[in-house]
Order: sequence, then structure tokens, then C-alpha cells
Amino acid sequence: MARTIAIVEDEPAIRANYTDALKRLGFEVWTYASRAEASRAFELRLPDLVLIDIGLGDEPEGGFELCRELRSKAPTLPLIFLTARDSDFDIISGLRLGADDYLTKDVSLPHLTARINTLFRRVDALRRPPAHEAMINQGALSLAAERMRVTWNGTEVPLTVTEFWMVHTLVRHPGHVKNRDQLMRDAQVVVDDATITSHIKRIRKKFIAIDPAFDEIDTVHGAGYRWKP
Amino acid sequence: MRPRALLILSLFAALLLPWAGWQLVQQVEVVLREGQEQAQIAVAQATARALAATTDALPVAGPGLYVHPMLRAPLLDGSGDEFVQTDPARSADGRLRVVLAEDATALFALIDVADPTRDRADATDPLGRIGDRIELSVIDDRGLRTFVLSNAAPGALQVASSSAGEALPHGEWQETDDGFRIEMRLPRPSGRAALGITAIDRAAGIERVIPLAAARADVLPLLRPDPRLDQALAVLAPQQSRVRLLSAEGWVLGRAGALAVDEPGAANAAAPRWQALVYRLLLAPPEESAASDFGAALPRLLAPVVWQALSGVAASNVRSSSSANSVIVAAAVPVGAAGEERGALLVEKSSDALLLLANRAVFGVMAMSLIAVLLAALILFAYAGLLSLRIRRLRNAAERALRPDGRLVPNLPHLAASDDLGDLSRSFGRLLGEVGTYNDYLRTLASKLSHELHTPLAIVRSSLDNLEHEQLTAAARTYAQRAREGAERLSGILRSMAEASRMERIVAGADGEDFDLAELTRGCAEAYRDLVAPRRIVLEVPDGRLGIHGAPELIAQALDKLVDNARSFTPEHGWIRIRLRALENGAQLSVANNGPALPERMQERLFESLVSVREGAQRGDAPHLGLGLFVVRLVAELHRGEAIAVNLPDGAGVEFRLRLAGMPRAPL
Repeated sequence: MARTIAIVEDEPAIRANYTDALKRLGFEVWTYASRAEASRAFELRLPDLVLIDIGLGDEPEGGFELCRELRSKAPTLPLIFLTARDSDFDIISGLRLGADDYLTKDVSLPHLTARINTLFRRVDALRRPPAHEAMINQGALSLAAERMRVTWNGTEVPLTVTEFWMVHTLVRHPGHVKNRDQLMRDAQVVVDDATITSHIKRIRKKFIAIDPAFDEIDTVHGAGYRWKP
Repeated sequence: MRPRALLILSLFAALLLPWAGWQLVQQVEVVLREGQEQAQIAVAQATARALAATTDALPVAGPGLYVHPMLRAPLLDGSGDEFVQTDPARSADGRLRVVLAEDATALFALIDVADPTRDRADATDPLGRIGDRIELSVIDDRGLRTFVLSNAAPGALQVASSSAGEALPHGEWQETDDGFRIEMRLPRPSGRAALGITAIDRAAGIERVIPLAAARADVLPLLRPDPRLDQALAVLAPQQSRVRLLSAEGWVLGRAGALAVDEPGAANAAAPRWQALVYRLLLAPPEESAASDFGAALPRLLAPVVWQALSGVAASNVRSSSSANSVIVAAAVPVGAAGEERGALLVEKSSDALLLLANRAVFGVMAMSLIAVLLAALILFAYAGLLSLRIRRLRNAAERALRPDGRLVPNLPHLAASDDLGDLSRSFGRLLGEVGTYNDYLRTLASKLSHELHTPLAIVRSSLDNLEHEQLTAAARTYAQRAREGAERLSGILRSMAEASRMERIVAGADGEDFDLAELTRGCAEAYRDLVAPRRIVLEVPDGRLGIHGAPELIAQALDKLVDNARSFTPEHGWIRIRLRALENGAQLSVANNGPALPERMQERLFESLVSVREGAQRGDAPHLGLGLFVVRLVAELHRGEAIAVNLPDGAGVEFRLRLAGMPRAPL
């Protein structure tokens, strides 16, 4: 059965474009123009993945509300936030809404679809029994590539997909310096340097929340970042 | 016109008031003085008429010979020392000069003759020889007597007399450098007397006649101070006046009265009061004649008023006295009897009243007007000064309000004032408010615009993405590609536009940590070496650690921007110098490069957002909106420091200096 993706977006042209692209890939697409509409529909049936636009029509907080609703219903439902400004990242992460990822509307459709596929892969990996999968262990860090799950001293670190890919890049070759371009590429995002910096900062904060002594991500000024071996 | 200039102008205008008052008082004083003089003339005329009516001792009309009173007989040695020779009677050509004097018993004469040719013979020459001689005739009550005086040699005077048995004059004959001199003694003529003196100059047989009077045989009446005149004058003289009767030639023949004050220079001059000094300064009348012309002891007065009176016209003048509080008013009038001019009467009176009146008036007027002017000036000055101060304060506040980086911080004074200045201040405030609002709008316009444009851009890009999956002709594919490139550029621009406000947010939300600034600089510099090649990096960083509390990634970002900026402006084989220096409470990080200097006026504005001094940007390059330096400034301010750009001396290049004091530590 084809997976269902719900798109909650108030701009009709964007909604139509995304719908076409996803349909082309074989997904079934439900579209909603407002929070109220989507909320009513989700009462009846949940999709397999939701794309939420942050600024929904009259309700600037509409997207967050919807996210909370969905999370209370289905904690493991893949949820991607779409935002016009990447300045919202800080707000979003501050709210700890538990979305799986945040992307700008600038993102190209190939990137978006790649991200959606990754997320579905994770969902499948999570459903399967925890078989032997490729684990990367580095110090107190334990990284499961397929499930896209990272634990530190046994505690799960709630990273977004973007953040996960960045940590993955660093940890794969501990001690090597990865510059921003590499991190960007591996995380499948196109952003500027400042965003990379803020991503790294957020990653650090999440680790420090679990372990205040966390200091494994090293800033090599002028070069990039590396994971301390 | 500036208020102060206006004030000074009005001050000058106001000074017209006391000046006008002064002029008025001067006019009044002139009128008063003239009145005084007229009154004096009237008094003098009345006195003259009374004198002419009451006395018969008036001098005869016409010329006469003045006889000086003498206390003691002079020594007759021919020197003439004891005679008053200031004003001798002269012949028409001046060769014969005579001075007469008398004491109680005798008449003395000093006769000087200028006679270059000597032809001397004694008057009593037995052979009857004649030479230079004097013919003297005396007329008095006893009749006419004539004498001839001549000496062959200096010595006792030789006198020949026509009448026998007469007491002969005796004296001394002296030769002088230019002629001869006789000093002689005569019995005193009695009653009305007249003298005739003629000099005969004999040279080579020719005789020159030099009469004292008009002709050889003429005689001149003797004029002498007459006690009868003194008495008559004493009776008639007005109060506190000095009167003098003068002969037709100005000789003082009678006097009476005295002035209340003496002439200037007298020993007991009264101390001048300060008002009188002011009088002298402001109103003192012009002096027509020197006071010395009117000396009490003068035998002859030659002042202009006197001459005028002697020629028949009454005259008067005012002169200063020894006392500073008064002046002397003199009136001279002709004295006539039986239809002929017999002389002149001079009446002098000191006048205090005039001065006092003038002074009081002057001081009243001047004091009042001066006070009025000072008061007005004070008020005007205070008002103008206050106004000037308030305007200046407003101007300074308005100038301060507009910061060099375009931010507006109005803090205007006088907002609540109810006068014109308050209105001005409020208008200014409104204006600045509008400008500030507009500036804020402009600043946020970029980010607002970019935000608004994101959605249409997303539509374009997602549509183009979908287009990729459709069947397209080659041409269509080309167009789609171009559209995509255009969308890319648009996206880049939007990102830059939004970057300014995003940077502000990032910087504002940065957390501080303790880190080693020296190591950070070293690390970054190493990374730049490859980036800026073939340009050289000169690194001046102290060994060891330089700890600072701040946001390392932001400082690194600022350094990136500075070096990137420097690289663009440094020629291919130039140098970029990165220097780190520890300061008292922080550090200074500077990036210098050799290259073109900064334009003067841009140095401050470089650190604003959206300013670029790049010239000739090429098409296709990433749009340069000059945000780099704006970020640098934000980072500097976050670390409680500042960023400045200076030209290196000798035009070697430019240096950007970043002063960092460190972020404040967040409270735990």
C-alpha cells in the first residue's frame, strides 16, 4: 500500500507543487489548507508522514498547535516542519515540539523527497525488531545508522534528522576535521555557514542537557569541526 | 541677524537716550550762559552810564600816555631796570619807545631811541652844535615847558630848557647797542598834564623827526590810575563783581570790587567736586581767551572782549576760574560821555548758579536715562542670552539625536515649554520621530521584504523542480535552466538581505564562554594562509594564552569577514597583517592590509549594514551588500568593545581594529 503523506500548507501553488512531486514518487497525498481542516481529518485517520507549514494563514502558531496534537496522538509519527525563515529554527527547537526535522521552503524537491525517504526508512527500522544493525560506537556515544538513533551513555539524544546526519559525519571519522561544506552536504541541506554553526550549537546543547560534561565536538576555527577521539 | 548682534545694535540705539539728554542739557546750558552774559552786559552798560553821569574823572578820548605807579624812585643809571617795559609807548615806526612812571613826588621817564647813526652833541654845547636829541614838552596847569635833551657822551643828562628858572629834569644818558637811552626824572606835573616827546635823528646833516604822538608838536595826555575813578566805581560796582575802567587803549585806570573766586592757579583754589569734573568733561564752554589776559595786576588788558568794547560794541565771554565749581562771566562795554568814546568798562562776576543748575539738570537726566538704559540692556541681554542658550541646547540635542550610524535617539529639551521655542522643540521631536520611524522601517524593510518574497520564490522553485520531471524540448529545458539560475540568484539576494537582522538575532542570543583568543587567532590565521595566497599573512600574536570571555565562533566569524574583506582589497602580492594585543581590560584584534586607502567620509559608515565601498562589482558575482563589516561591529559591541577603520600612515593601506573587552558573564 502506498504511504500517505499529509501536507498542511496554506499557499495553494506550493501545495500543488509538492503534491505533484510526491505523487510522482508514488505517495498518496492528502492536502489541507488550514489547521482546523487538518485537525478534523486527523481525528478520523492518521497519515504516515506530515509536512506542516509553520505560518498557516491567520494562525502564526497554527503549525505548532497541530504538531502538539499529533504528537499526543502518535508519538512516532514522522513530522517535518516547513518554514519560510530559517530564523524559526531556534524558536522551534526551543519549543521542544519533537518534530523530526525542520526545513526551509527553499529546499529543493529532490532534497525534500530524500528527507522523506530517510524518515520512512527510519520508521521501518524502528518497527523491525532490534536486529544487528550497523552501530558506530565512539566513547560514550552509540549511533544506529538505520534507526537514526543516537544514545549517549545509554540515554537517547533527541536529534532531528539534519542534526543526526551531522553527528554521523563527525563520528564516522573521529579526529578528522569536517568543514562546513561537508557537513552541509552530508546533512542534505543547503544553508549558510551561520546555520551550520547554530545546528552544531543545538547539537551540543542537546548532549549537554544529558551530560553537562559533554565536550566531544571540537571547533577548529577557520577549518570546521571534529569529534574528539 | 544673530540675537547678540541685534542686542548690541539695540543697545547703541538705547544709548541715544542719554546722548539726547546730554545734547538737551548742553543747549540749555548754552542758553543759560548767553542769558547770563546778556545780563552781565546790561549791568555793565548801566554801570557805565552811571559812571559817565556821576564822575568827571573819565579819561579823555583818544590816545594817551600811561604812567605806571611806582612805590619807590628808580635809580637813574640809564639801565631802565626798574621800569615796567612790557608795553612801552611807541612812535609810529617804533624807533622811539617811552615808558613813564611816577611816585609821590616826581615823574620818571625811560626813553629808548633806535639810532644807528651817531651824531652826538651836548644840549648845552657852548658852540651850539646839534646832534641826535630828544625834544620834550610838558603841559600842565602851570603852562608849557619845553626841553631839549642830548648828550655828546654817556653820562649825566644834558638838558637845555627854553624857559629859564625852571627845575630841570635830570637823569642819565646811556649809549645802547642800537641807539641811546635816557632815564630821567621830572617834577610831577600837576592837574591834567600832557607830554610831548619827539626824537630827532641827525645823520649827515639830515634830520629825521620821530614823534611819539602823531606830529612833532603834538602832546599826549597822561593817563594814570585815578582814585576818584576807584571811588566812583566802588559805589557803582555790582555785588561780587570786579569792575575795571579802561582807557581808549586798554589801560586800567580805575578798579573796584573783587571776585569771589580767584583766577586759576591761585593758592587757595577750592577742591573740585566730582560733579564739577563731570561738568568740565561734558559741558565746559569753549574758552575764548586765556585767563591770563584778565589778570588782576595787569596794567593793560588786551583781551578780545576789551578790544571789541573799545571799538564801540559790547562784548562778553565766560572763562574758567580756579574753582572747579564756578566760571567767570566778563562783560566789556564802551564808556562814552558827551557823545565820545572815552574808554571801556569791564565787569567780571563769578557764577556758581549756572554750574549748579546745569549740573543738577545733567545729573538728573543722565542718571535717569542711564538707569533706564542699563535696566533695558540687562533685560534684553538676559532674554537674548537665555534664548540663545535654549536654542543652542535644542540644536545640540537635535544633532546628538542622529547618531552617525543612522540610529535615532531623540532627547530634546524644552518639549513642554509653552512659547515659540517649545513649539519648535515639539516640531523637531515630531520630525525626528518621523525620521526615526522611517529609518527603522528602512532597516527592517530588507528582512521583511525577504520574508515576503520567500513564498513566491518557493513556488517558483518547486514549480521548476516539477518541471524537471516533464518532457521538455531542448529549448524548454534551456529556459527552465535559466529560470532556475535566476531563482538561485534571487534566493541568494534574499538570504543576504535577511542576514542583517538574522545576524543581530544570533549575536544577541550568543552565549559566552571562556576561551583562548590567542589560540583562536593562530588557528584562523593558519587556515587563511591558503585562502589568501599569493598574498602573505603576517601574524603578530603573543605567545601563550590570552583568555577572554566571549563567543568564539562569532569572533572567528568576524575575523573571517575582516580577512575576506582585506583579501578583496589587497593586491596580488601584498600583505595582510593580523595582530592581537592584550589591553588593560581586554584585547585588540586588528587586521591590516596594504592597498587603497579608505575615503574619509566612509570610515564611520563602513560598519552600517547594506553599505559597500566596492567599485565596479562584476555581474554574476555574489551580490555584495556589505554585511560583513556590520557583523564585525555587532560582534565587537557584543563583547563590549568597538570596531573602527583607519587609514595607515603614509597611505600604506587600511587597518580594521577590533577592541574587545569580553562579554558580561551571565548571572548563574
